[in-house]
Amino acid sequence: MREISVTVNGRVRKRMIKDNELLLDFLRERLEVRSVKAACWRGECGLCTVMLDGHLVKSCLVLAVEADGREVKTVEGITDDGELAPIQKAFVTHGAAQCGFCTPAWVLATHELLRVNPHPSDADLVEATNGLVCRCGTYNQIREAVAEASAASKARRQPRESLARA
Amino acid sequence: MSFGSPYTTLPDFEYHKPTSLEEALGMLKQYGDEAKLMGGGVGLIAFMKERLMSPAHVIDLKEVKELKLLDVAPGKGLSIGAAVTLSELLEGGMLKRDYTVLHEALAKVADPMIRRRATLVGNLCEAIPWVDSPPALIALDASIAIAGPDGRRAVPVSGFIRGPVDIDLGPSEIVTAVDIPQAKGALSAFEKFTGGSEFSLASVAVMMSNSGRNRRARVVYGSVNSTPVRSADVEEAIRDGITPGSVRKAADLASEKVECVDDVLATAAYRKHLLKVITTKVLRRMMSQ
Repeated sequence: MREISVTVNGRVRKRMIKDNELLLDFLRERLEVRSVKAACWRGECGLCTVMLDGHLVKSCLVLAVEADGREVKTVEGITDDGELAPIQKAFVTHGAAQCGFCTPAWVLATHELLRVNPHPSDADLVEATNGLVCRCGTYNQIREAVAEASAASKARRQPRESLARA
Repeated sequence: MSFGSPYTTLPDFEYHKPTSLEEALGMLKQYGDEAKLMGGGVGLIAFMKERLMSPAHVIDLKEVKELKLLDVAPGKGLSIGAAVTLSELLEGGMLKRDYTVLHEALAKVADPMIRRRATLVGNLCEAIPWVDSPPALIALDASIAIAGPDGRRAVPVSGFIRGPVDIDLGPSEIVTAVDIPQAKGALSAFEKFTGGSEFSLASVAVMMSNSGRNRRARVVYGSVNSTPVRSADVEEAIRDGITPGSVRKAADLASEKVECVDDVLATAAYRKHLLKVITTKVLRRMMSQ
């Protein structure tokens, strides 16, 4: 056993862990962050996806000890004011969840996609999320939600541009 | 609760994180057969869950400074350290511009989250016959740099991969980098067919160097046999240029001459058919470039 210290959604969390523990187990079992789902355990479904030091990774393929001294973000951490992010509102509007099991991973991944690329094409969306599975098959609704969140960010940007021109 | 259930947990091991190559080699010497090296961990963690591997010591190479280097030496080519991830390699556009065949092979490996962790060297060292990096690297005439207790050595990728899950690496040696000769100005491309499988059923890597009279073609097929297969027949067919006629001839020769095996993913006969398809596809794409 050894103690590790990981910043999870902005909060420093210290726990004793075993060397052979997965980051997925550390988050779910030791910290009770249950939005991180455990399903396939082999890096195929993507439902355990988290951000590690600013990059999306599958936490069933990461050792907990590797996260020592680093920063983890889960879907709870994508906004800091308690308000829903535009992509979360769009998921609600478009019913982009059926059973909801995969939703945290999809929200996190599409939120990150829109941060890096505010206006993704269909191909960009498919490429960015091809490591995620939704077994209810809400892919079309997710696509609509991403399109709406993307359009909203365009709408927000335009006034600023016209202001700059004036 | 996942603790204790099969396929979800890892065997007990002690984790080590050396920061220099010397330290890593020292650990490997000390722990011997009981140790496994970890690059991105994608393969190792999966193998450990299946209990195909149960090392007492895991030596994580991610923080070894020397292995994190991604070097481009003018006129000398590219050196990719063992801890460089596929994402790091694909970012920046350099691979896409000068080493197209490798870019095309790596850009379709797994998914972005896995590419963020997986390394090129890890991918090679697993030596799974169906992965895409070996044919691309052989087409680029790449070699593997190895460090061990007796010093350093280099082997071509084609010799490094000896068979399925069998590589030319001693128990106390570490692969430090993949070195690729300068390929600027060369024409290269990669094509694969997966048919929805997570692995390729057949792949092809082509590289044409255009330097004056020394025009050379290198054509390597992956996933069709236990190791990548270079085809002198196909190379000969396109040596004088890629034309509609030479493409047809090359595709026929690929199907006819390249030895394919039956395995869990596909039959040899199906692979022969795929060779014709992907050879035509890759060469037509290169013709229009």
